[in-house]
Amino acid sequence: MIGMSAVEWLEPRSLEEALDLRARYGEDATVVAGGTFLGILMNQGFLRPVRLLALRGVLDLDSINQENEGLVLGAMATHRVVERSGMVREGWPALAHAFSVVASPRVRNQATVGGVLADADYASDPPAMLAALDARVVVAGSGGRREIPVADFILDHYTTSLEEDELVVEVRVPGRARRAVYRKFRSRSSEDRPCVSVAAAEVGGGLRVVVGAVAGRPQYFPEACALAESGRTEPDLADEIARRYAEAIEPISDARGSARYRRRVVAVEVRRALEDLYRE
Amino acid sequence: MKVPLVVNGERVAVEARPDEMLLGVLRREFGLLSVRETCGIGVCGACTVLVDGEPVSACLLLTPLAAGRDITTVESLGGDHPVQRAFVEAEAFQCGYCTPGMILTAKRLLEEMPEPSEEEIKTYLGGNLCRCGCYVKIIEAVKLAAAESYPLREVSGT
Repeated sequence: MIGMSAVEWLEPRSLEEALDLRARYGEDATVVAGGTFLGILMNQGFLRPVRLLALRGVLDLDSINQENEGLVLGAMATHRVVERSGMVREGWPALAHAFSVVASPRVRNQATVGGVLADADYASDPPAMLAALDARVVVAGSGGRREIPVADFILDHYTTSLEEDELVVEVRVPGRARRAVYRKFRSRSSEDRPCVSVAAAEVGGGLRVVVGAVAGRPQYFPEACALAESGRTEPDLADEIARRYAEAIEPISDARGSARYRRRVVAVEVRRALEDLYRE
Repeated sequence: MKVPLVVNGERVAVEARPDEMLLGVLRREFGLLSVRETCGIGVCGACTVLVDGEPVSACLLLTPLAAGRDITTVESLGGDHPVQRAFVEAEAFQCGYCTPGMILTAKRLLEEMPEPSEEEIKTYLGGNLCRCGCYVKIIEAVKLAAAESYPLREVSGT
């Protein structure tokens, strides 16, 4: 057919080989992890890749391990494997929960840890929880490896700090959070993405509240969270932090809710998340 | 490219474009018309197939990602599978369009949770949509299949 050239399929067997191909082709090769987001974009006609770089053959990229006190999730581990992992459920139950409420079992059987971060879709569940747990994205490239906090990895809608020669290889979640919760507020059907999501965790003695699905990137306000150390009592504290989040966030409007609606939901859901957290 | 597939137990290498979803290949190359495209974005579940026993949207699965994996469609269940029998007994369909996806998803649910609660059934099947709105009967069918022995009189409302 005129104008239709063959699409090239690349399936490296090692990380080294994958990084070589990534360095050679950069954005001219579309990286394929589970392929759910990619499939949606392709079926909708938003993306027509000329070259596909699949990571499925790269060994050991899908493992889940504990290292020292922390959790290491391989980039190719699927959502379902994370949510059902005994290690994750035991040590990081809120994280297992955040992965378990994504879409349907079908999507979770395909979608991966690395994919959900690299896609940087504002309405995905796991990034907010990972950011609240102070997780780091480990990326590998021609220049070696670097670790990026999840909160700095996702920059804006579908935009990350991943360089053209880099691949996400794993996500490292620090030692068991003392307490953590994830609340997903849906405005439509049960398998939908969140209208507002709130992840709250006590990590290393400090409170981290991260609101997802309301803006281009997960929303975290350290100054508001620092109120937890101000000696305020709990019901009042939850109200005040929730009020500050609702004021600070500039929500988007989409089919799941207007900006005005979202701002009100943020105030309620942040308060509820903190109430849940203090009840843990 | 040639993609080696295992479809309903049969090993076949098919010619497919690397950017082609498994859905089209199953329909075109294998005549498996129980795998249906509706939304094309992984929401509706009409294209559900089992890949290594787990439900997946065939509309979102690039064909080369299915290489070497065990693909099961409802055609292979033969019509007498307990979940299929339960769907018939409960009359859990009107047009039948969503039924293959429902059956495959329910099959996997019952392997994971042999005695699911109504809430667990609803959550697990939440990603399979029925435009006829037969959800009450579908949930009933899954409960029947779970019970395995299911005399007709125990089906309420019939």
